[in-house]
Amino acid sequence: MEEHYDVVIIGTGAAGLAASLYAGRYKMKVLTIGEDFGGATATAWTIWNYPGAKAIDGYDLMKIMKEQAENVGAKIIDGKVTKVEKEGDCFVVSTRDKKYETSTVIFAIGTERRHLGLPNEKELTGKGIHYCATCDAPLYIGKTIIVVGGGDASVKGINLAGEYADKIYLITMEKELHGEPINLEQMEKLGDKVEVLYETTIEEIIGTEKFEKVKLSKEFNGNNELVADGLFIEIGAVPDVELPKSLGVALDEEGYIKVNNMMQTNIPGICAAGDAVNIFGSFKQDITAACTGSVAATSAYEFERKYGGTCEKHTKPHVKNTV
Amino acid sequence: MEHNIKIYTTPTCHYCKMTKEFLDENNVKYEAVDVTQDETARNEMIEKSGQMGVPVIDIDGQVLVGFNKEKLAELAGISA
Repeated sequence: MEEHYDVVIIGTGAAGLAASLYAGRYKMKVLTIGEDFGGATATAWTIWNYPGAKAIDGYDLMKIMKEQAENVGAKIIDGKVTKVEKEGDCFVVSTRDKKYETSTVIFAIGTERRHLGLPNEKELTGKGIHYCATCDAPLYIGKTIIVVGGGDASVKGINLAGEYADKIYLITMEKELHGEPINLEQMEKLGDKVEVLYETTIEEIIGTEKFEKVKLSKEFNGNNELVADGLFIEIGAVPDVELPKSLGVALDEEGYIKVNNMMQTNIPGICAAGDAVNIFGSFKQDITAACTGSVAATSAYEFERKYGGTCEKHTKPHVKNTV
Repeated sequence: MEHNIKIYTTPTCHYCKMTKEFLDENNVKYEAVDVTQDETARNEMIEKSGQMGVPVIDIDGQVLVGFNKEKLAELAGISA
């Protein structure tokens, strides 16, 4: 017999942990499964705009959220969800070695870093090519690096790298940068250390044993090649929607999970939250992830309260909230 | 059996913190070195792992790149 839960939350980033906290406080029996603890928030370095925390490391914030959720009874485990299926009126969530039955599911699956998709990119990852400036930029002490991006993540990455690297080139296909003004202001303080190449793309990654240089779409200082010690790719992220898709969850035109304003998908009992939904468009923050997680938990709770006891496979009645 | 474990870290890397916390929780001793402060260790890490991502974990001469809980548990003799 599978273990039965009122809600299984997939993902242990800000959305999944906020959902766990709220669901736990609703007295639901909660299981949260994640394979990359902390999600995007854990990689965010110092977070200055999460209300209530003056300045906090993203990973530390995630640990607090986890502790809060566990304190109200949520069970949070490491694991990769391999399958979600509908059985009767319940759902069965499978990991590599276990199955969990649940009345509701919340997909808080986040996103994965977008790659340039160029030859050599995969082979040279770690060998001069990086996707986590927070982790690896401090290794480039006194070196020259290239950051490709143009959004806030790339600007924050440069602000961190600026403490270590001697020279930073930011390559962006845009006409202007889209970082938060306060982060752009901090970047400007780095002065000549940072040079921005606007409306430029990388056409080729060159290197054999390690990353050596890139070929640019247009000339820069009379040359269409740019030599550097490292290349940091910060060009956004895309959700891996294979699991919800296999269950028949509708996606929007950009491939994100389609939800209404209560974070409900087209399938009753299935909610979604965090960066994998587009409810606030491209505005994806720790606070929006946590916000949508709390809403998704509320919808899951309402659904479970109305329909959770009806499934013939329901093996363990939950504690009903009498409010 | 006590293992000889050395972790190469940077101060902002959360996977480095996760690695150290996991070993702490399981009472496994290790030496952690901040490669932003120690050039010799930085070069040693690059030589051992052939790359520049952290964390790098050297367990009795076996080198792991990144925080892989299962593999780390296996090499450090931590039972599930």
